Amino acid sequence: MNREALQHPLYVMVHPFNGYWDLKYERSQKTSLIISFGILFMLILTNVLGDQYSGFLVNMNNPRYLNSLLEAVYVLVPVLFWCVANWSLTTLMDGEGKFVEIFITTCFALLPIVLINFPWIWISNFISAQESSFYYFFKNFAILWSGLLLYVGIMTVHQFSPSKTIGTILLTLLAMAFMAFLTLLFFSLIQQMIAFVSTIYQEIVLRR
Amino acid sequence: MVARIKKLRTGLLALCCLVSLGLGGELALAESAAPSYNYSYWENAVAAPSAYEATTLITGASSGAGPFNNPQDIQVTADKQIYVLDSGNNRFVILDQDYKSVKTVDAFQFMGKAEKFNNPQGIYVTQQKEVYVADTGNKRIVHLDSSFKAVGIIEAPKSELLQANFEFQPVRVAVDKADRIYVMSAGVFDGFMEFGADGVFKSFIGANRVHVDAVEYFWKSISTKAQREQMVMYTPTEFTNLDINDEGFLYATNGDDYGDPIKKLNAQGADILRREGYYKPSGDLLYSTRSGGAPRLVDIDVSDSEIYAVLDASRGRVFTYNGDGYLLYIFGGIGNRLGEFNTPVAIEHSGDDILVLDQALGEITVFQTTEYGRTLNSAVRSYYNGDEELASQEFSKVVNLNANMEYAYAGIGKAYLRQGEYKESAEYFERSMDRTNYSKAFLLYRKEVLREHFSTIMTGLIVLLALWLGLRMYRKMKARKKVELH
Repeated sequence: MNREALQHPLYVMVHPFNGYWDLKYERSQKTSLIISFGILFMLILTNVLGDQYSGFLVNMNNPRYLNSLLEAVYVLVPVLFWCVANWSLTTLMDGEGKFVEIFITTCFALLPIVLINFPWIWISNFISAQESSFYYFFKNFAILWSGLLLYVGIMTVHQFSPSKTIGTILLTLLAMAFMAFLTLLFFSLIQQMIAFVSTIYQEIVLRR
Repeated sequence: MVARIKKLRTGLLALCCLVSLGLGGELALAESAAPSYNYSYWENAVAAPSAYEATTLITGASSGAGPFNNPQDIQVTADKQIYVLDSGNNRFVILDQDYKSVKTVDAFQFMGKAEKFNNPQGIYVTQQKEVYVADTGNKRIVHLDSSFKAVGIIEAPKSELLQANFEFQPVRVAVDKADRIYVMSAGVFDGFMEFGADGVFKSFIGANRVHVDAVEYFWKSISTKAQREQMVMYTPTEFTNLDINDEGFLYATNGDDYGDPIKKLNAQGADILRREGYYKPSGDLLYSTRSGGAPRLVDIDVSDSEIYAVLDASRGRVFTYNGDGYLLYIFGGIGNRLGEFNTPVAIEHSGDDILVLDQALGEITVFQTTEYGRTLNSAVRSYYNGDEELASQEFSKVVNLNANMEYAYAGIGKAYLRQGEYKESAEYFERSMDRTNYSKAFLLYRKEVLREHFSTIMTGLIVLLALWLGLRMYRKMKARKKVELH
């Protein structure tokens, strides 16, 4: 992996149209995939550190219930849901993107959140309540930027028209909701089954 | 085969892990908490030293007035005389400081006729020791002077504000310094009835708000008028009790599940209770349906320095808050030991002591402060009186006795802030989770630090800038040399 490959995510951030085009047609997919995982990892790290070390004025978390594993789940599950939902939809809607490409696009789009939130973990320790609006402004700004990148990325990767991209994104969100519902249903059923089996087991064992 | 079983086992294990992810973290319910507890900033029940301990049990027999039968209300005067309204016996009994009966009143003279009470429910004693009794069975308020002669009787009022079939059933009564009489009447949803000193009905004040949820609102809006008449009518919740403080503000409790169960009403009937605490005052935060569900606040008692205590009948607990709405301490409970009740109905303070009346047992439990309670009370009082120095000292004692008392740290922080010790102040405010004051202290601290190190910081910045410029020039020169060489 050379220096240029590592700088490419930063290029994508400021030149999304060219950057995503290069990502799809010019760059080595393996390198991009590794970088994608790196970004995901950094995002998890940022969230964990943010919850723990953000300034007192903006940190509303109960330290007793912080769980780094759950933080990882909160990042990984939405990203995976998004990719799967988007891929399932776009295969039906003549999208040109492969699953790997969708994944890489999504991960690259998350970079602004990492780059903006990370320094703010420390800066937030030196601000007052009035200045905390800057903190929230930058947080929202990061999310907006990421959203924009995601939009351009999806458009490029599937070679969609702008309006079709918006439709796809909305449908993807709907599909994600569906998937969440199905997953919850599945786990709830499994739980019920385990409870049922364990009840029968107890009945048999405790019977005299 | 073995490999397959192994695979299955790993799969099952992974599944179990996934399922159990959602099961982590259980909350300790207040019911299983330590005998004395408090709620932390995070709304968890945490152990706390007891602030009050039951010391004496007063029964009708022990006071010498004969057993109480279904007593409903008590009132304590400034000189610590206790007026017990013994509803079942249609009388009220006056106890002295040693809890001995000094007088029993069960009849009075009015317009030359001997009159009796009939199932009275509420009593109020003014500072001049005039007695107001809500004589519920006779549908009237009886006003006795300090020698227990009737000076006035308020019968069912006539007013345009009242419906034709209005039935006057006064159950609780309170009187302010200007002799305005506030009456809580059963079946009245419009708030308290306010009477002038002359006994003329003036108006209602402080009605609770109706709570209608979105679903009900939707069904109501699409149903016809005939259907609507069949539906449940939404009436505001009734108040459950009232008290009046030295400044003439009404403190009231109600059975509202959605709104604010505790209110402080001004003369206009607007709720002006301060709710600056970690959560709004409402009794227990954690409860289960097994122990009776949401707290049912049945009485409120205001003492000096805006400290007020409310009584929860469903769990028999007394919750004491300060004027800002911070929970100070909790004590009491349902049970059979001293300091626990069967059906608590009324709460009063007598100096620093707190008295709780049990209706079914006909007993009054007297609670006295422990050292912790005394220190905390004194800290809150001195803070209320503006003596932050003393308050800080007392709050330091409080946190030595109970490190979980988050509110106390703010008291210490405020004293540090005043002394100009901004760093310590900010630390204490952080411990108290007081973000607004933390921000103030932190800003001052930051300014101090920046002022102190201004020259160092600026020098550093200028040096860095110079270095960077120098480096750039050096590189350019090098590049030019290279070009010249070629």
